[in-house]
This record gives sequence, C-alpha cells and structure tokens, in this order.
Amino acid sequence: MKLDIHCEMILDEYREKLPVFKKLKDIVIKLLRDRLAKNQIVVSGVEGRVKTEKSLTGKLELKGFKYNTLDDITDILGVRIITFFSDEVDVISALAEQMFEIDWENSVDKRKMLEIDRFGYMSLHYICRLPKAQYHDPEVPELNHLRFELQMRSTLQHVWANMYHDMGYKSDVEIPAEYQRNMSRLAGMLELADEQFSHIRKEINAYRRNVQSLVASGNFDEVPLNGDTFRSFLSLNPFKRLADKMAAINQAELYDDSLMPYYNVLRNLGMKTIGDIVRMRNEHSESAYQLALIQLAGTGLDILAKSAALQNLCIVFILKHGFGAAGLVRLFAALYGDNTYNAQRADRLYEQAKRTNII
Amino acid sequence: MDIKIEKQDNKTIVVLNGRVDTTNADQFQQDMEPLMEGENPDIEIDCTDMSYTSSQGLRIFLMLQKSVNARKGKMVLRNMNPQVKEVFDITGFSNIITIM
Repeated sequence: MKLDIHCEMILDEYREKLPVFKKLKDIVIKLLRDRLAKNQIVVSGVEGRVKTEKSLTGKLELKGFKYNTLDDITDILGVRIITFFSDEVDVISALAEQMFEIDWENSVDKRKMLEIDRFGYMSLHYICRLPKAQYHDPEVPELNHLRFELQMRSTLQHVWANMYHDMGYKSDVEIPAEYQRNMSRLAGMLELADEQFSHIRKEINAYRRNVQSLVASGNFDEVPLNGDTFRSFLSLNPFKRLADKMAAINQAELYDDSLMPYYNVLRNLGMKTIGDIVRMRNEHSESAYQLALIQLAGTGLDILAKSAALQNLCIVFILKHGFGAAGLVRLFAALYGDNTYNAQRADRLYEQAKRTNII
Repeated sequence: MDIKIEKQDNKTIVVLNGRVDTTNADQFQQDMEPLMEGENPDIEIDCTDMSYTSSQGLRIFLMLQKSVNARKGKMVLRNMNPQVKEVFDITGFSNIITIM
C-alpha cells in the first residue's frame, strides 16, 4: 500500500532522525545499566530497539492519520527492563522517575488497566525524555528532546507478552476466541506464579533475618544447621581464635578464604545444629592446634588460609571418633575431589596423629 | 628454578622445574605477571619437577588464582609431588587452589 504524502513526510523525518534515535538508545541503556548496578539491583535484562522503517510504515498505513509529526509517535525508541520479580517493577519505575522526565499524560500502567475479571498484558510503560542533567551533547541537542518508551515488566509478564506478540498482536489479527481464552488463562496463571515468587522471596528474606538474630543470640543448640545458618554463623568468625593461634606459630599472615565448602563436610560428620559445631570447636581446638604445631613449626611458612583451622578441627574430630584414615580420605574427597593425594595424605596424618598422641 | 610458558589453544601451560624460594620468588612473580591479565585466563601449571615452594611461592600462586577468578577462568596445578602437596595442605591452600 502506498502511503499518503503526510505519512511520507513522517517517514522522511524518521530517516533523518534515525541516527539520533540509535545514539539515544545506547545512552539510555548505558545509563540504566549503570544506575541498576549502583543500586545493586539485578534484573533479567535491559534491552532496546529502534523501530524499523518497515514496522513504522506498517503503523502509518494503519493509523497514520493520528499523527501530525514523528514526535507524536512515542515508541520509535523502545527500551525495556525485565525484572525477576513483579514487585521489583515499582522499584525500577521509581528509579526511572529519578532519571528521566516522564510524560505522565502518555504513560500507562497496563497492570492497572485490566478489569478485575480479566487477565492479559501486564506492563508499566513510561514515555520519557532524557534530561540534560543525565546526558548532554551540545552538538546533538535533539537527544534531550526526543521521547522514548520505557517498558518495565517481570520475566513472566515478558514471557506472556512475547508469546502473545508472536502469535497474534504483532500481525494485528484477532486471535480466535477459544485461543484468546487460553491466553487469558495462561496470563492468570503467570500472574499467580509471579505473586507466589515474590511471596516466597519475602518469606525467605524474613527467615534469613530471623536466623541471623537467632545465631547472634548465641542459642546455638536451637539453630538447625543449614546453608543460611552456617553462613550467619561464619559471619561471627567462630574459628578466629584457633586460626590466630595457628598463625602465631610462624607469625603468619592469614588469608580469608571461604569456609562454605565445609558445610557439606560438617553435615556428613553428623552435625545437626550450630551448637554441634560449637561443641566440636570447643572440644577439639587444642588438639587441632597441636596438629598445626607438628605440621608448621620450623617450616617458616608465614601465610595460612583461615580454613586451615577448620580443616584441622575436622581432621581431629574424624580421628578422635574412630573414623580412621578412611574417614580422612572421605573428608579430603569431599573438599578437594577424588584424587591420588587423598589416601597418601590420610595415611600420613593418621600415623602422625598416633605418634603424637593426638589420638 | 626453570620456568617454561607456552600457549595451547586458549590456555597457558606453565612448567615449573626446581624450587620456588626466596632466591627466585621475584623472578617467578615477574614471569607470572603477564598471565595475570589478558583475555585467556585459563592456566595449567605442571608441577612434576617442582621440588619445593616457600610462602613466597604460595603468595604468587594466590595472586595468580585471584586474577584467574576475577576473569572467570580456571587454574589447575597438576602432578605435584607429595612434599610440595603437603605445603599446600597444611597451610590450607588446597582449599583455595585446585590441585589435580
């Protein structure tokens, strides 16, 4: 179909401004990514596109009469932020409001446009301008005049919108009623799933805060051992005294490595609560130190990983509980994987511990 | 100490021969510094003929490991003799560095 002269003029304007829109896209995406990183917000994606000439032509064919100039078409540049959780959309929109000039008259919250008994497209659309305070290039003043559309939605909202767009909306052909109904059912299901994900995340965060206060209270026997409680416990630096004592053998520097690999080891050693770990530490610290003394004294090794303290505690615990060299092989395999060194080291340690009355 | 460095596909192979101690740690560090930057962070260190490492050596291995981690690469030390492995074990460095 041939466009009328009015639409051809809009198309000419588009061709002329295309490089500016492309530049604006890169600037806006970079600004958004930087701001998200600065605010430590992790999103599923930030993406953008400048409408193609073909797509614009299609739009003008259908409803060119609605537009006086190119400026009236607000989605030539579209930028989208896809969040993991639906409740993060509001956080992102607050950021966008700080960053851009929002054209409220043309912005829409499609999440609130649906009737209470309808399910479908859920997304927040802001029509924005880039303020000079964010970016200004005197040679391209239009960067601050052109409007663009910023869409914000959750991953599940994005999935639904993409499917819908791909199957029907894009071609502007009405989906047959029976399929439309199925799409609506899916939208309802995804909305429910979105809500559940947000709910679960809130509960997990509340659980973690509760765990932190339980660990901090020192009632360790009441704290079950799991990944969260172990991490909280480690934040108290529970093996510091032993590590410091071991480091003093050679006036060594201590390197702060992760103790999380020991979580599974401690579970396999039968620890059920944080209290069990505290008891192991209290009962075996002296022997773990004696072992370090035998190993390190006279070596001149003046750097130690902090994990050496927990490693020695586990070694002593295993030997004192009669698990022998085989127990040590299992420990080393759990920490460092199966390799030929484990059995040699286990045998050597077992003999050393027997000779020095550690067991 | 003798150090050989060669590129193989996208990784660097380092072959160490002899002791890493106070007398040659500076040289070892200088030789390793180019491996702490660049696009191909994967490093494999053949320790078959490395007879000893001091704390200085451990610190250099630690620097290498950190630079590799920062670039999301992998570093592996292979074929270590039991005496050298003992140094990594008793210092807890086996928890930081992958030894195969």
